[in-house]
Amino acid sequence: MVPNDNIILKIEDLHKSYGKEEVLKGVSLEVTEGEVVILVGPSGTGKSTLLRCINQLTTPDAGRVWVRDVELTDPQADIDLARQHIGMVFQGFNLFNHLTALDNVLLGLVHVLKMEKDAAQEKAMMELDRVGLEDKYMNYPGQLSGGQKQRVAIARSLAMEPVVMLFDEPTSALDPELIGEVLVVMKDLALEGMTMLCVTHEIGFARDVSTRIVFMEHGDIVEQGPPNKILNNPSLERTRQFLGKISDLH
Amino acid sequence: MDYFEYLTIAIPKLLDGLVISFQVTLVSLGIGLLIGVPAAFARVYGPKWLKRFVIAFIEVLRGTPVLVQLFLVYYGLPQFGVTFSAYTSAYIALGLNSGAYQTEYFRGAIQAISSGQMQAARSIGMTRLQAIRLVILPQAIRLVIPAWSNEVVSMIKISSILYLVAVPEMMTVARELYARYFNPFQTYITVGIFYLIIIGIIAFLLGLVEKRMKIPGMELSERNA
Amino acid sequence: MEIFTTLIPYLLRGLNITLSVTAIALGFGLVFGTLLAIMRVYGNPALSRVITLYVGVIRSLPHILLLLIIYFLIARIVNLSPFWAGSLSLAIISSAYQSEIVRGAILSVPNGQMIAARSIGMTRRQAIIHVVIPQAIRHMIPPWSNEAAIVIKDSSLVYILGVPEILRQAQYYSGRNPTKPFNAYLAVAVIYFVLTFLTNRGLDALEKRIRIPA
Repeated sequence: MVPNDNIILKIEDLHKSYGKEEVLKGVSLEVTEGEVVILVGPSGTGKSTLLRCINQLTTPDAGRVWVRDVELTDPQADIDLARQHIGMVFQGFNLFNHLTALDNVLLGLVHVLKMEKDAAQEKAMMELDRVGLEDKYMNYPGQLSGGQKQRVAIARSLAMEPVVMLFDEPTSALDPELIGEVLVVMKDLALEGMTMLCVTHEIGFARDVSTRIVFMEHGDIVEQGPPNKILNNPSLERTRQFLGKISDLH
Repeated sequence: MDYFEYLTIAIPKLLDGLVISFQVTLVSLGIGLLIGVPAAFARVYGPKWLKRFVIAFIEVLRGTPVLVQLFLVYYGLPQFGVTFSAYTSAYIALGLNSGAYQTEYFRGAIQAISSGQMQAARSIGMTRLQAIRLVILPQAIRLVIPAWSNEVVSMIKISSILYLVAVPEMMTVARELYARYFNPFQTYITVGIFYLIIIGIIAFLLGLVEKRMKIPGMELSERNA
Repeated sequence: MEIFTTLIPYLLRGLNITLSVTAIALGFGLVFGTLLAIMRVYGNPALSRVITLYVGVIRSLPHILLLLIIYFLIARIVNLSPFWAGSLSLAIISSAYQSEIVRGAILSVPNGQMIAARSIGMTRRQAIIHVVIPQAIRHMIPPWSNEAAIVIKDSSLVYILGVPEILRQAQYYSGRNPTKPFNAYLAVAVIYFVLTFLTNRGLDALEKRIRIPA
């Protein structure tokens, strides 16, 4: 869990506007290997947009993004190739509804990584075991609870062996009693040394596992630092206010 | 002659006509499918100019009567030296017409699939084409089944206009029958009963197909993420 | 092209008929269809079932077949001109489809509306007329716009009864000018397209105007 000097993710001066509204106002960020970075802030302040600009699901208006030493904002970049190394977990799960849990994980292995069917199947089963779903291989998303769906989604991304995992409010769409099972998986992942960038309101999780908390507001990074500092003794009043609000809820 | 005597003569002939009706229906539906699926994907995922072209294609074919489209091909094209047989003209006109409607049905199905599906597929490194082939299309097919069932029934009904270009389907046979036996009303009622039975059977069969292809938990009204 | 100086007058003669047939079919279809829908939704179960059967049969049969059946049926009983026989046949066909549209629109009005109306003392009839139907109308316009386009196109079918609408006029024309059949049918297609296009756009605009602010 100790971050070393390997920079996995570098974001430089990202700008993004939707119409007249500027959602990202020149955001810069560096994430080193093994770090678990939590992004917090009021809704609509560009946190999700930032994540999407990393794997280019949203194209930024200006600024640059590197994963390892590949610049994703380079027009010549092979984005599909780059995305194999970036895992993304969505608030709405986005599981492939027409496929079983196993096939959801298999699909990328067989068609993107071009693995042999048998090897792929073994790996897929292993990933599902890893998230605690060994008895759900043959179930369809429609038959799974929210927490189970999200864990399949995590397994699907992990199977691709990414160098960084992006989590976009992974538990916000879940009923309270289902949140725990997903956070457990995410905690284990962090302890295993995965580089993670999470947008979330789960402060407890942040306190336990993160190496850095970044507070964003109105498209800017306001303050960032180790969890101890930010959660217990933030420098700025705005940070204090925001954390006060969400601490009440969690 | 009484009605039942008449039926013994009429039914075999009508069955011959039915076979032709089926043949035309199936071929036209097939052509429509070959046009409709790619056109729908072009309409949703294609470049702007292609989208506009598909929209224009749909508007024109849905805004004019099938009968006129048929006549344009069969009676009109010879003006330019292009002469198609009645059958071929039928396939072209009905096929294109069905293609326009099927484009809309598939488009509806594709758009009902949440955009999250495409995002998830791209985020594990799939190309757009892979995502369409492996994620969007399989789901779209299941969503489109009710509308497509409608199209099958619709095509069976439309094939009846082919009697105006002397394709020997059921209506043409009917005409020959009543020309000989002078009982247009009974003949058409009999044909009507034929259509009702056929459509009833087809609707039932399509219902079975829909059940077989159902994916547990993937209902058409739900928008699963 | 001088073709148009000869072709257009032919077609214009037929346009009047086309528009009349369409108007009669849609108009009668709406009145009768609404009646069927109301009877089906609010009537007694036996009546409801009969109407459901009737509507189901009509929607399962090819329009051209229905046209001919009704024509020969009417011809036995009354002496009607092909124009009226054709128009009324299309009206009967359209009424079946329109009854489904109206029924769908009525059902989309929440049940609570009727309950609320009765609870302030309205009779069933008053509730239907003053509360349910005004709300149902707004849901009706898109599918009705679709049906209107269908009837416009179906009006071409009455040509087989000899009614001189635009398709038949085109046939007469191409009979006299056998070198240019395509032009004739193309002109007809264009006219139909313009008719359906204007109808759809017009009804879209109407829908926007009567929209209830949400």
